[in-house]
Amino acid sequence: MSGLPSAEESGDAGWAPLSGRSLWASGVKSLVIVAGAVAGLLRLLLGRDWPVGGIVAACAGAAVLIVAAVLAYDGARLRTTRWRLTRERLELRSGITVRQHRSIPRDRVRSVDLRADPVCRAFGLSVVKVGTGEHAGEDDELVLDPLSKHEAEALRRTLLRQEHEGAASQDGPLAELRWSWIRYAPLSVWTFTGAALLLGGLYKVLDSFGLKGLAGRAASGLWDWVTAQPLVAVPLLLAVNAVAGALGAALLFAESWARYRLEREPGRLRLRRGLLTVRSLTLQERRLRGVELSEPLLLRMGGGARVKTVATGLGKAGEHETEDVAALTPPVPRALAAQVAARIAGVSPAVFAALAPHPRAARRRRIVRALATFAVLSAATALATLLLPVPWLWLVPAVALPAGLWVAVAGAASLGHALGERHLLARRGAVARRTIALERRGISGWTFSESYFQRRSGLLTVSAATAAGKGRYDVVDVGHGDGLDLAARAVPGLLEPFLVRDGTPARQ
Amino acid sequence: MSASTRLRPPRNQADPRAVPWWTVQWLILMVPVAAAAVAAYWILTERPVLLGAGVAVFAAGCVALALVAPRAYYRVERWEVTDQAVYTRKGWLRHTWKVAPMSRIQRVDTARGPVQRLFGLADVTVTTASSAGAIKIEALDHELAAELAERLTAITQATPGDAT
Repeated sequence: MSGLPSAEESGDAGWAPLSGRSLWASGVKSLVIVAGAVAGLLRLLLGRDWPVGGIVAACAGAAVLIVAAVLAYDGARLRTTRWRLTRERLELRSGITVRQHRSIPRDRVRSVDLRADPVCRAFGLSVVKVGTGEHAGEDDELVLDPLSKHEAEALRRTLLRQEHEGAASQDGPLAELRWSWIRYAPLSVWTFTGAALLLGGLYKVLDSFGLKGLAGRAASGLWDWVTAQPLVAVPLLLAVNAVAGALGAALLFAESWARYRLEREPGRLRLRRGLLTVRSLTLQERRLRGVELSEPLLLRMGGGARVKTVATGLGKAGEHETEDVAALTPPVPRALAAQVAARIAGVSPAVFAALAPHPRAARRRRIVRALATFAVLSAATALATLLLPVPWLWLVPAVALPAGLWVAVAGAASLGHALGERHLLARRGAVARRTIALERRGISGWTFSESYFQRRSGLLTVSAATAAGKGRYDVVDVGHGDGLDLAARAVPGLLEPFLVRDGTPARQ
Repeated sequence: MSASTRLRPPRNQADPRAVPWWTVQWLILMVPVAAAAVAAYWILTERPVLLGAGVAVFAAGCVALALVAPRAYYRVERWEVTDQAVYTRKGWLRHTWKVAPMSRIQRVDTARGPVQRLFGLADVTVTTASSAGAIKIEALDHELAAELAERLTAITQATPGDAT
């Protein structure tokens, strides 16, 4: 963008407003508040036998007031907000009462996130979030809410432009939606808890509309039925819960992942998805520090997995997000997930399948831990049953033993590590199994730790510190010497001066 | 070769004055605990002999721990700064070694608490871009700490890149 002036040249010129069509969008959105307020008013006034005309007038007055207030606020916000792009920086001036001037250097821009909810889309608007790598508080994102769709696209292209612009992705998209993937959507804990949560929420809503009596009667009727015929009612309710949860999960999947397409453009990754709210995230590849293959228990049993990024400068998920911002794929078949992860990381998919297992001592350690937990639980239960005559308490240790042993064995089987050409791979986790491929040049330090019991079984935990993602990624319970060798080979030269190998005397 | 690869201990120990300083810290914590146990025994109970012996052992244990722990820590805490990296070891039951390359260091801080100042000691904290990567070198002579911080700052400023 050599055509753009630098900040010094342009002085105070070049400031552009946000899109004026925002007023229409917020006007439409304010109707939601109007609906809520009118419902509340109706409930209040119907109880006091006002004349119908009076009620209508009151509701209309409230509606006009609310829309006017929202429009006035949005108008003031639009008038006071200006942004500009210079050769070095992206700047934003905003604030109705407190003026703010924020500016981020363009070479710090890591990601550009475009987002358009249905109302915004109807008016051709997009909300632009520009992420930088700063971890310092709220300053890691600059939001332009909203720009017109064309401006937003142009800004995205300009901010993430690279030398070899124009060369389209040669090998097609990395992944594209197949609706058959929706079968993985219900494989999550939310399927079993979601419906119950939804019912709770519904009860609350009914309550606030003064229909508590109705909801209460329904609930007590249900309770009577459950206590009268538990053998029929409980399985039936559980089944209904599961079906409702699965349906909800499928709908959520459709909303989040419809039109999903993951592409590699030169030097960056582009992710597009969303049915009602359309999201488009562009991520600079040189800010990518690795990928994560995530297999939660239920999804793993169904043969699925998903891919997430390990990146610097990717904002945290907002409160209303239905999906993790780091997610690169929806739940997909495991082989495809491994393939996508491998292509992003630039390793062969076979690497993900062939990790070096950890020593048997790691498994012994986990089994001993499970048995010790069982022993403590049993002792506690024995003590409790001495004081209180509740024999079913013994269920707790009886369930804890097989569960603990399963977690121990599965956890040990998950452990693994490998060294790719540019990546360090590590896998762990019994319930939520994760395979991390961390770029070796992204490793900014090592922590080795060894508890008393680990020392006795010759094990070590190696943590790679990195600026991206969670900040540290662990290779758990690897053999002492293997772990040190792994770290030494992953970042050549760093560790060598501090290592003592067999036969070579310590360099003092 | 792999089974016998080990980490050698870093070269330097904390300043010897660290032992009295840590002892003071431990005593500040432990003496009230021991005193409270003894006081509770004296005031609240009928002073049975067996319980008295238990309380005495507990109080003596607290004070003994306060005297022994700093010496044990002093023996295991070591640090080293080369031109390429910062390297520390600490921990008694759980050993922890940390290595950070100079090129990834973003910030160097020194800190001196009020009691620490009486002993002429200071801590140096080295922060990298990772939220988990901070390394603390504890209880150095305060002049040595200032000098070390200056040297680290000079080295890191000479290294290009944004250290992520």
